[in-house]
Amino acid sequence: MMQEAGLKNRVKRLVLWAGLLLILLLTVFSIYGAFIGAESAKGFFNSIPMSAYWLAFAVLLISAIAIFRRLLCFRGLFLIHLGGIIILAGGIIGSQAGFKVQDKLSGTDTIRAGQMIINEGTTERALELEDGVIKMLPFAIKLVDFKIEYYQPGQLIIRTQKGEGFKISAEPGQKYVLGVDSTSSPQADLGSVEIVRRFDNFKLTREGDKRIAIEDINGGPNPALEVRLKKPDGSETTRYVFERFPGHARPDDNLQFSYRRSIKDFLSDVEVVKDNKVVTRKSIEVNKPLHYGGYLFYQQGYDSDAGRYTVLGVTSDKGLGIVFLGYILLCAGVFWHFWLRHIFGDREMED
Amino acid sequence: MAIKYTIQGLLIYAAMAGYLLAFVVMLSRRQKAGHGLFLIGFLIGCVGIAYRWFDVRHIPLQNLFEVFLCLGVLAYPISIFCNRVLRVGGVAADMLIGVIVLFLAGFVFSAEPQQLPPALQSWLFGPHVLVYMLSYILMTKAAVQAIVQLSNKNTEGAILAPEDATYRMVCAGFPLLTLGLVLGSIWGQNAWGDWWGWDPKELWSLASWLVYVGYFHFRYMFGKRFPRINSLWAVVGLVVIIITLLWVNLSHLFPGLHSYAM
Repeated sequence: MMQEAGLKNRVKRLVLWAGLLLILLLTVFSIYGAFIGAESAKGFFNSIPMSAYWLAFAVLLISAIAIFRRLLCFRGLFLIHLGGIIILAGGIIGSQAGFKVQDKLSGTDTIRAGQMIINEGTTERALELEDGVIKMLPFAIKLVDFKIEYYQPGQLIIRTQKGEGFKISAEPGQKYVLGVDSTSSPQADLGSVEIVRRFDNFKLTREGDKRIAIEDINGGPNPALEVRLKKPDGSETTRYVFERFPGHARPDDNLQFSYRRSIKDFLSDVEVVKDNKVVTRKSIEVNKPLHYGGYLFYQQGYDSDAGRYTVLGVTSDKGLGIVFLGYILLCAGVFWHFWLRHIFGDREMED
Repeated sequence: MAIKYTIQGLLIYAAMAGYLLAFVVMLSRRQKAGHGLFLIGFLIGCVGIAYRWFDVRHIPLQNLFEVFLCLGVLAYPISIFCNRVLRVGGVAADMLIGVIVLFLAGFVFSAEPQQLPPALQSWLFGPHVLVYMLSYILMTKAAVQAIVQLSNKNTEGAILAPEDATYRMVCAGFPLLTLGLVLGSIWGQNAWGDWWGWDPKELWSLASWLVYVGYFHFRYMFGKRFPRINSLWAVVGLVVIIITLLWVNLSHLFPGLHSYAM
């Protein structure tokens, strides 16, 4: 009897030391992973030695629950460890190695992650995987419309040759006195600027002998500003500042102009087509992915030149629900053990 | 480093002055006046946050300037909560923490307003950052208590012994640290399609969480037999938190998905 108790204690001590060692190792691995960058870290944490580590961690957590009665008696501690096991299980199921094993066992060829490039008005099934291989989805995605929204009104940025900068709200009617260029010698008065007009799609046309700027409702976007520059001697010149050609300056000019707008949102209006029928519609935005057929489609990129195509990241949802269940259990356990049981007077343990 | 000659800057400097005066007054053992000045500094800091919120039109937690302004203001309510509810002292140290944090917001980080990029337009933005800020302040207080324990300072008259106070502070901060990590993971799933992206910021956050997991594990194994090692865990935890919060964003060593948080 005494011998059995002694052995049990030795096993308990061994499990505790192994737990501490694995925690320390994972801390060191995490710091190492941070130094090598996300892509290399992903490879490192999915490598065969690390797969063995994750498996050892999961086994240790399970054996801890089996060996320590304390973990079964105290709800919070039990939930924390159970949550840890479930997160690890979900992670293993959804990992690259996990997919390979599942495919081998079931004889299937499932898609884990990739990306789709879809032109406006077209339907696409092809998916480019992380390793460059093209695979087909069991359904198709049609990009009905792609939109980019900007914060208004944007900014006119003016720089002197010596690098002094001014930022002006690109609101038509806005006037700004530039003042003296302190970096030039002798110091020169730069005069003032006025934002006259803002164009979404700037175009020059001829009207008789004159060239005039118009807002072209057809064709691709060409955002621009019409700026009136007033020099100290009273002379005025008109400049057109284009978002796509920043820092443009005339050879005789001592000022460089740029027009900058910040992106507020970009969204893809898509339809999921299966057996020639539209089964669902969704506006995919950053933070608002489409979940369909076991895959998540999220807004990853777009055609920055003309806004004609979208880039959708695609990931399988395998293991995701398990990971989130683990999160719920982990958080419930942590909050119960460290906060709530003290508030609700649970006497399960004194520290 | 630059002085901010703006209303925003003046509010931060006034809050700093309130905290600093409170600290000096506390050292001269005039507790009531010290608490009053601490409260005044906090109220001015609140005005500073409200002003910033109105100016940028979104919850001001986007960049290091806004985060440190928020941390400086949180120093007061957390100090009061710890003192009255958790029975953990160190109010004077909290005032000094508030001054240091506001100094960084007032003199070091750029206050130029920024518009929210699409990735930050999520309901998780506020809760994720705020929960982390609360946990960071609590863990800072834990590290202060641990340093007191390590320095063998005479703590006669303290409400709670430093080692116990450290444990209590880590117990208070750890659930928030866990929640911050989990909320970040859920947000990552929505924004980038993966609940874990092995990004440097994520890995440093995991490392800081693991240090405290190690602390609990070690303390469970040995109790108070090695109080100095227990305290050392808490100090290391704060060092890793500082790296996560500052070094990862400021250094070019760790480019990643969180680089907008400058």
